[in-house]
Amino acid sequence: MVHLFTVSKIYPPSYPALTDIQLDIEKGEFVFLSGPSGAGKTTLLKLLFREEEATDGQVVVNGRNVARLSNKGVARLRQEIGLVFQDFRLLARLTALDNVALAAEVVGMARRESRRKAFHLLRELGLKDRHNAKPPALSGGEQQRVAIARALVNDPLLVLADEPTGNLDPEMADETMRLFAQMHQRGTTVVVATHNTGLLERFHHRVVLLQQGRVAGGRKECPAGV
Amino acid sequence: MMKWAQIAFIVRRVLKSFREVFWTHLLTSGTMAVTLFIFGGFLLIQENLQGLLKGWGSRIQIFAYLETSVPAADTESLLARVNSYPEIERSRFVSQKEAWDGFKRSLGSQSGVLEGLSAEILPASLEITLKTAYRSHGALAEVVKRLRAEKGIGEVEYPEEWMEKFGLVLLGVQWAQWVLGGFLFAATLLIIGNTVKLAILARKDEIEIMQLVGARRLLIKAPFVLEGMVQGLLGAGLAVLCLWQLFVSLTSQLPASLGILAERAQLQFLAPDSLLLLVGLGWVMGTLGSLLSLRRFLKRW
Repeated sequence: MVHLFTVSKIYPPSYPALTDIQLDIEKGEFVFLSGPSGAGKTTLLKLLFREEEATDGQVVVNGRNVARLSNKGVARLRQEIGLVFQDFRLLARLTALDNVALAAEVVGMARRESRRKAFHLLRELGLKDRHNAKPPALSGGEQQRVAIARALVNDPLLVLADEPTGNLDPEMADETMRLFAQMHQRGTTVVVATHNTGLLERFHHRVVLLQQGRVAGGRKECPAGV
Repeated sequence: MMKWAQIAFIVRRVLKSFREVFWTHLLTSGTMAVTLFIFGGFLLIQENLQGLLKGWGSRIQIFAYLETSVPAADTESLLARVNSYPEIERSRFVSQKEAWDGFKRSLGSQSGVLEGLSAEILPASLEITLKTAYRSHGALAEVVKRLRAEKGIGEVEYPEEWMEKFGLVLLGVQWAQWVLGGFLFAATLLIIGNTVKLAILARKDEIEIMQLVGARRLLIKAPFVLEGMVQGLLGAGLAVLCLWQLFVSLTSQLPASLGILAERAQLQFLAPDSLLLLVGLGWVMGTLGSLLSLRRFLKRW
């Protein structure tokens, strides 16, 4: 699903964010990108949905070399990716339902169908009674669930989450991780960037450890309790 | 290819924008209306001056005086040659006798002063009227030049000074229209550009989200461009309405006859092609302003 071949990213004037990254993530895998702040986790995710372009090397996502994509190609790539952010990035003036439905509408789903699907997802995520609330009226955990519903509304092949539990209390963080685990069980490839080592201990998925922009180790997926 | 759902999405966004920031849109349309009103005002003056010139055209004549030595047979062929000029609507031969009778008539009771003189003192002449399209100073001068080169024609007279001055006034109006119109056009583009910039900044978070979830650039841009078009068309409509009001109220205050200048009925509102030009300009201004602004500000994300 994701292949990085000796990828480097240097921010101007000469700050190396990533150096010689070699990484393969198979379809249906769940991977934690771990490492301290500034290790390059967010930059790596941004390369995957072409928010940033690699300075060197090749990034291939779902069989496409992202550097060679046209504007239309980038749009199509992003339609296959669900994004979740630490700060949720919800539109404050829209209701939870409209926030989720917007993502479906812009890729061509009819309004009624997109709202129906958004409502279905919110209900599945336990927000049935909160679908008409606007983000400022929702708790952090609720907002993150709305963001997850938005990420899922277009049935993505790949979900990228950047510090999705960063603004949540431990209980809510675990709840959010369980939602990602559910997506993974349905066959979606999930990549979660986090510096929260507690999560890595509680959820036994593959870990790629980044340090100063380089892959500095990691662990393979292991069964619970190992 | 855009889907119907996406087209409906664009239309909904435009309507929503007009509802949410109605006054901003109205202000932008108003600014465009002012520009188009001034431009249209000059167009109206220019069209009416041209209309007056055409109206006076039948009275603008060239008098080509024949040399006395020209035999009658040569006069016939000269008349045929002059009549074949593409610019000429009609020409009439005025014999020496006809000229003499006319002169006497014009003197009325004082025609006695002509006693003892004969008709031969006045030359025969050609009274030439030009086709409507050639009733300008330049075309007139060109015809006169060719007439002067004709064998058998002595002097040629036409209202040269008057035509020159009128031509200058017309040219002045045209220049003012395009120069002032050009400046206003540029200024209005800037204003529209800034309105769109404000609209983009106000919706920056929404645009970012749309980009992140895979909306195509066309879908993101289209509502802004459509808003610009609608603003332009509204502005043009408003300008035409104001021009019409002004025209009606001004002409109703004029006397029915403007003396030697014109009859009031001769004054006309803008021709359909000028109205189309104004509407087209409004449309172009709105669209161009939006596109330029989008090019500048969407690149950053």
